[in-house]
Amino acid sequence: MRLMIFSDIHGNLEALQRVFADADKRNIHRSICLGDLMGYGPYPNECVELVKSRKNCRCLAGNHDVAALWDTSPYGMSKSAQDAILWTMEQLSDANKKYLGSLPDRIDLFNMTFVHANPYNPRGWRYVMDRKYALRSFAATSCQYLFIGHSHKPLVITRKNFFSIDLQAVSGPQKITVKAQRRHIVNCGSVGQPRDNNPDACYLIFDIRTNTLEYYRVPYDFKKTTQAIRLFELPSSTGRRLLKGT
Amino acid sequence: MKIKRYGHGATPNLKQRFLFWSALLLIGGGFLLSILSFWNTRRLLMADAMTKSEVILREVEAIRSYVKEELRPKMYELQGKNTFIIEAMSTTYISTRIMARFAESMPNYTYRRASLNPHNPGNMADPFEEEMLDWFEEDPNRLFWQGVVKKNGESFFISIIPEYFEASCIRCHGKAEDAPKELTERYGNDGGFRFKAGDLAGINSVAIPVSDSLREAWQGSFVLFAVTLSGTLLLLWLLMLLFQRLVIERLGAMLSLVVQKDTESKPVTGDELDVLQASLGSLRSYVRSARKGSSLEPNFIGNYIVSKPVAAGAMSWLYKGHIADSGEMVSLKIGFDETMQNPLYRSCYESELHFFKSLSHPCLPEVKERVDDVLVLTEVRGRNLFHFLGNGGLEYRFLLPVFSQLCDMVASFHAVGIVHHDLRPQVLMLDTQQQLSLIDMGLASSDQQQDPIVAAGLGPQGDMLYLAPEQIQGMRGDPRSDIYGIGLLLYLAATGHFPFSDTRKSARNWLRHKRQVESPRRYRPELPEALEQIILHALSFDINTRYQWVEDMWDELTAVLDAEPGISATP
Repeated sequence: MRLMIFSDIHGNLEALQRVFADADKRNIHRSICLGDLMGYGPYPNECVELVKSRKNCRCLAGNHDVAALWDTSPYGMSKSAQDAILWTMEQLSDANKKYLGSLPDRIDLFNMTFVHANPYNPRGWRYVMDRKYALRSFAATSCQYLFIGHSHKPLVITRKNFFSIDLQAVSGPQKITVKAQRRHIVNCGSVGQPRDNNPDACYLIFDIRTNTLEYYRVPYDFKKTTQAIRLFELPSSTGRRLLKGT
Repeated sequence: MKIKRYGHGATPNLKQRFLFWSALLLIGGGFLLSILSFWNTRRLLMADAMTKSEVILREVEAIRSYVKEELRPKMYELQGKNTFIIEAMSTTYISTRIMARFAESMPNYTYRRASLNPHNPGNMADPFEEEMLDWFEEDPNRLFWQGVVKKNGESFFISIIPEYFEASCIRCHGKAEDAPKELTERYGNDGGFRFKAGDLAGINSVAIPVSDSLREAWQGSFVLFAVTLSGTLLLLWLLMLLFQRLVIERLGAMLSLVVQKDTESKPVTGDELDVLQASLGSLRSYVRSARKGSSLEPNFIGNYIVSKPVAAGAMSWLYKGHIADSGEMVSLKIGFDETMQNPLYRSCYESELHFFKSLSHPCLPEVKERVDDVLVLTEVRGRNLFHFLGNGGLEYRFLLPVFSQLCDMVASFHAVGIVHHDLRPQVLMLDTQQQLSLIDMGLASSDQQQDPIVAAGLGPQGDMLYLAPEQIQGMRGDPRSDIYGIGLLLYLAATGHFPFSDTRKSARNWLRHKRQVESPRRYRPELPEALEQIILHALSFDINTRYQWVEDMWDELTAVLDAEPGISATP
């Protein structure tokens, strides 16, 4: 069983298409999107449609998806995110709103749990990037593998023992074989807006038989996306972040 | 309708079973009674012989004691110390003579005084008595023995007591030169001497013949058995008459009414009650069908003309139909009456309709529209999978295309958190192009909505034959249960047989039988071993040792079926 896990597309259709094209060559069986289909980027409807139509693909709700439905207020976000969400709200079709409204906050599959941000308060959208929140996340679940997104930074956190954890930032494409007897928190990075100083779209394939995390980075034509951002008068800072991967 | 009279050439299984078990019980009971009777008679006989022989022995002992302690001293007193009159002073002689006279009037009671070294050669021990002498010599504390002994073809009950020499006996049994002259003159100097006080003098025994009594006991028991057997046969005949009239004929009449030729089911084996049980199941389905069919055919639902039902699911029927205007063929999913009237089942039915509407897969008919409670689907073609499995399974070359579709569809369910729970050949249609269609999702559940069956606390739902062990235990919502279902379907398709020897069991026994899956290659030896391993892996009783993901099973199945295409086409 090879499971594709991806997150944080943020309306970047070009990146999403390239990621899917790349993944389809790698013999995957199922896909799980950890949320944030929209926000920042210029193609929210197209991204939703693409994910919806993908075979054996399941999607979670992210903070931008929820904000686009006014389930949470967008005014707590940064200015650029806020402006993009308000624009997205106007673009979203009814069918896609309905789809977004049906997305769950959490999925459990055997010994795996999937959430957008964290498992202890899924709609609190707290980042899990340090020891404190990692321990809190471990305590909130009993699964062996917890897959998260939200921070846009690929990361593998391994619980070595009750008190000690190991944080391993993942840079570039990489294959990591994890120990089956330990618990792990895995951040799959971001497709549409990487923030680990690498502008290439990031996604993850988890090979369950071999306990291998396969991180892939897919270059895409981000100029097309930045042009669209300008075209739709979205905040220009978003385009600059795409170029730098920050 | 002519009612077939059972018991007259019809299926006689129940009658035969009843006759067999009744005869076994009654004849066995009679035999047991006879054995018990013999045993009791023998026990009483032995107790009686024991008492009588002991009385006689004690009497002889009393005589010997009297001679030894009173008569002999008195004779010494009257006749002088050197006198020895055998007839008045020898304990053995006197006791033997008295008992010889006793035997004249009571010939069945035999007294014996036996020794290994007697004065009188007539008292020499025979082999049995020698054994007994040895037995008493082994342990001086042994003071009595009783038992049945066979001598010359006759059985005797014998009681034996040992006797030991006292100091007063040594005059006659010590040195031969010290013995009285009368004794040596009569018996000579060879036997009966060289003893000392405390030695085992011999044994006194009384034998009572018991052969005749035992024979009589056997005869009595045999007569009792014969009488019981005769009575049993008479009773059996009467019981069979009653059983025939009261049960078999009525049951036969019922069977004649309900049994119908069912080409899609395995022929039911067993007695009339088994057939009736199976038939009532079919009848229930038939009644549902008839109820719907009669009310719907021909009938209109919206713009659709409904014709005959095609198949039954867990909660609904699938009907054929067509659009009135265009004539385009469609299928209509219509809930059972009881489903629509029961809020719980209705909620399952609603879930089913929701799944059909929300899922998209080549194996699922597309939803055209919903008209009230009826779901109008694109036409489902073909016949249900059971039809193809009945004649020894699917052709080997069709396994991969059919099961690839099935695995793909189930994987697509699992990918969105849906577990089907009820994969069985009756709900899978296969057309001539090997296109598979699923027509029922009545027992499916989603991890994103509450399962009404779990919420209502209902037990296992569906046909036990196809349920995974954990489903029988009441567990729902685990995708691995569907993997078990695929494994069972693959077993059926590959072999044409069920993995279990008997397919009609109580719910409790199913769990035990699900542990014992028969090897698929038993039915079809040419199947690749790897395929057998896949099937057995999918049918693993323990959910944790089964395939955990349907995709893993699918990958292995594809590899095996692709690698070995050369197996014979027909099973």
